[in-house]
Parts: sequence; C-alpha cells; structure tokens
Amino acid sequence: MKGQFTCVVCPTSCLVNAEWNSTELLRTDHSQCKLAWDYVRGEIFDPRRTVTTTVRVDDGELPLVSVKTAPPVPKGTVFEVMQHLAHVVVKAPVNIGDIVVTDVLGTGSNIVATKKIARKV
Amino acid sequence: MRTEEVDVAVIGGGPSGLAAGVAARRAGAQRVVLIERGEQLGGILNQCIHDGFGTKNMGKALTGPEYAQIYIDQASAAGVACYLNTMVLNLSPERELTVCSREGVRRIRAKSVVLCMGCRERTRGAIGIPGYRPAGVFTAGVVQYYMNMRNLSVGRKVVVLGSGDVGLIMARRLTLEGAQVPCVAEILPYPSGLIRNVVQCLEDFGIPLYLSTTVVEIHGRDRITGVTLAKIGPRGGIVPGSQRLVACDTLMLSVGLIAENELAKKAGVVLSPITGGAIVDDRFQTSVPGIFSAGNALQVHDLVDYVSLEAEKAGLGAAEYAYAGKLPRAHIKVSPGKGIRYVVPQYISGTEAVDFSMRVAAPDHDRYVAFRSNGQTLRRMKENVIAPSSMIRFRVRAERFQKIGSELTVELEA
Repeated sequence: MKGQFTCVVCPTSCLVNAEWNSTELLRTDHSQCKLAWDYVRGEIFDPRRTVTTTVRVDDGELPLVSVKTAPPVPKGTVFEVMQHLAHVVVKAPVNIGDIVVTDVLGTGSNIVATKKIARKV
Repeated sequence: MRTEEVDVAVIGGGPSGLAAGVAARRAGAQRVVLIERGEQLGGILNQCIHDGFGTKNMGKALTGPEYAQIYIDQASAAGVACYLNTMVLNLSPERELTVCSREGVRRIRAKSVVLCMGCRERTRGAIGIPGYRPAGVFTAGVVQYYMNMRNLSVGRKVVVLGSGDVGLIMARRLTLEGAQVPCVAEILPYPSGLIRNVVQCLEDFGIPLYLSTTVVEIHGRDRITGVTLAKIGPRGGIVPGSQRLVACDTLMLSVGLIAENELAKKAGVVLSPITGGAIVDDRFQTSVPGIFSAGNALQVHDLVDYVSLEAEKAGLGAAEYAYAGKLPRAHIKVSPGKGIRYVVPQYISGTEAVDFSMRVAAPDHDRYVAFRSNGQTLRRMKENVIAPSSMIRFRVRAERFQKIGSELTVELEA
C-alpha cells in the first residue's frame, strides 16, 4: 500500500510518501530521518496520541490542573479517556509528575499532572 | 518616592523574561529584578496545556506549564528577584521605571532593561466584521484561559475564524471537551498556523478548514446565532453567490497577534512597522542604549524554544551593558530582499556569529535563502518547505562576515 503522511514530530512538518505491506513499513522518501520513519510506522500500524487536558482540583488555588497521558494512548481511545477524566477530581497540592490516574482504561498509560497547583490559602 | 537601584530590570515574567533574567544572573549581573504584572510566572505557557514545547532546545515534547516550570526553577536557583502583581507604568530612555503594586508606586533605576512584554491578540474590532455585537465572540486566547485555567465553557457550537496556532489548538481542545466545531475559516489562501497544527488539530478530528474564506456577517442580538461565511477572491472581494449561513452559538477569533510595546514607545525605542517590535542589533539592543528586547515583544514567534534562546542572548547583552556601561554599536544594516518579509536582527556588528530569524512573504518550496553583501553571497541555504507561518532561523558564523560591506540583504533564490 502507498500513502502520504505529514510528519508532526518536529516543526519542519515534512510531507512523507510511504509504502507498506500488511506487517511492515517498506520505504519512505525521508528514509534518512528516523523520527519520520517511526512516526509513519506508528500512524500505519498503531496510531497513538498524547492527550493533554485538565482535571478538577479540590482546595486548589486554581480549579483545574493540566494533565497528559504518558505514554501516549491508542488514537481510538482518546474520547473515552476524555469521558473518564470528566469524573476525576484530585486534591491540592498537586505537583508536576504526580500520577492522577494509573493505567487509564487499561491502556497501560498513566494520567500525569503537568502543572503545580498549591493549596488555596 | 522610594527608589531602588538595580543592574538589570526585566519587564515581563513569561518565557522570554525568565530566560533573560536567568542569563543575566549567570553572566554575573548582581541585582537582577523581573517585574510581572500577573499573579504568577510563566506567562501564556500556563494556559498552553498542549504539548510540543521544547522539541528544539530540550529534545523532548513538554506541555506549556512543564516548560515554564523549568525556567521558573532556574530563575529561583539563579537568584532573580521576581516582583509579582507589579505593573510597569512608565519607562524613560534613561532606564528609570515607574512601577505600581499593592504597596504603592515606586521607582526602579536600572543599568539595563530587557523588554519581554510578549504580545496580545487582535480582536473583532481590528478586523471589522459587520453585524450586531452579541455575546459569544471570543479571541482564542481568552477561550483557552476560560477552559484551561478557570473551568468555564464558552459555547456548544463554535465557528473558528482565522487559522493561527492558538485557534487550531483550541479547535481541538473544544472538540475534546464535547463542543462541536463546524469549521475553521481562513481569509488567506494558505493556513496561518503551523502545518503540524493543521494536521494534529483539524485533520485528526475531521474539522474542515476553508481557505480564502471569511466571516462577512455576525448574526444574533443578545447571543450570536450564526455567521455568514463567504469566499474571498484573489483581489480581496467577496465571490458573488458564495455566501452561506453557518449556525453557531460562539465565534472564536484567531486572527493574529500584536507585539506589546507601549512601554518601548514611552522610552523612545524605534519600532519596526513590519514586526511591531523593536529594531535591534545582534545583541538584541534597541535604538536606545541599554534597553534590550526579546520574545514576542520583539517578533511574534511560533516556537517558544526560539523565544528562550533569543532572550538568553538579550539577557547576556543586558548583563554586559550593566557592567561596562556600553556595548559596541552594530552598524551593518540587514534588509529583507526578494521574497522575505522581515529579518531580525536589523543591525549586526559583523564580528561574531548571528542567529537570524526571518519570515517569508508567501508559501513556496525548494528555495535558497541567500545572504548577500557587496555583490557577493556570504551564505546560501536550501529550504524544502517555506511558509509565512514558520519562522526560519539560520546561524551565520563570524568568518562568513569577513568580506561584508555596510549592508547585508537576505533574499530568496530559485
């Protein structure tokens, strides 16, 4: 099979032409770039996304803390992850790197805080 | 009035201010103060919860708040004195700042100043869309603040006008949070934001992007009920019969950013009509000796990584000025030539390496960026894909400037 991908790994945003079969990526016209190769292979066989969103905080100086999925979750689960997080509330203080949800929806990814939220004074 | 004497005063506590302050301290400036009008450091990064920051200067994709925290920690470790909730009301050419906080008004006398005020959004008023003035018209940055910082929803069905990066990011964010985004309209024939954002934020979610299209009317009296979209022809007029109504309860604008330079003007700093920022030399010194500028106040960036690198250089220059009381003036004028809209810095000394930033006038591919002086090409570099939305950066090493004349032109060649 053949197809075209816009690599989004770095800001150069290369347009990559690729050829693959049912099990592996065969060639790209950007074969010198490992990042593009890995990105295109991922997009074909197992597309994943880092979901960045917020969850509510109790007693925080702000009502929300920003979070991300680490590692990225399968693309097909993005909206389920969002639904799941709509019901999650954490308690301040929160630090960068704190795990908010472990193994979200069995994806193997954690939901990790990306912001420091102090307790409301 | 109470007066404080400092070596370096940095105005603005966003990514550029933090990087400038840290660099000035590390370069040996004794008393470095950073003045931030908001409640916290980090600036706009605090509401940019998406990832992709740091890929160029840290080798990994961080979210905005994570990226900011790295510099906030560095500023505290380096001993930068940060004044929060403090607003600079005036800046004189002699580098005397009038600042205001809850404690009252006071003066800060600085040996050098770095302007890091960032930028603000263009609004509906700036683009003049006809119609009533109903509720429900927001700029993308305001939507971002409401959603990501305050847990407030702006609407259920949101049309986006303008394809700037913040607009694209927020189109995805709104979709993830359950709002419907029927389309993004862009008046230009190409996207204003980075290609990667068009792919990640629109294509991934099936949000259509209508190019050469704009909002020609806003409907609704109390709350917006819809917009009329129309195609724009090559000469800027509405294509007859192309109007169509799109129902929505919110219109989100992402129609450009303006460098914030009211203080620079008060100090008599000469601004560029193209960038809206100061005209600077390769040490990021403005036309007023001892006043430096970096970040979005100097030129609107698309990547924070380059803001940090640029501001470090400015902070270094400010520390040196604070110590020596002067810097050698740079006299070689840098001008944009064919196909280039602007180049920063606008003056260079020709004695050390320079990182040039520039934007092209129109999208193109397989072009060479050529640095020419005295009829000679000093350096020429291939660019595969170029677009006005992507700032181009090139380092030119000092030895290339050996045969430079009094002017340097940067242009595109086939």
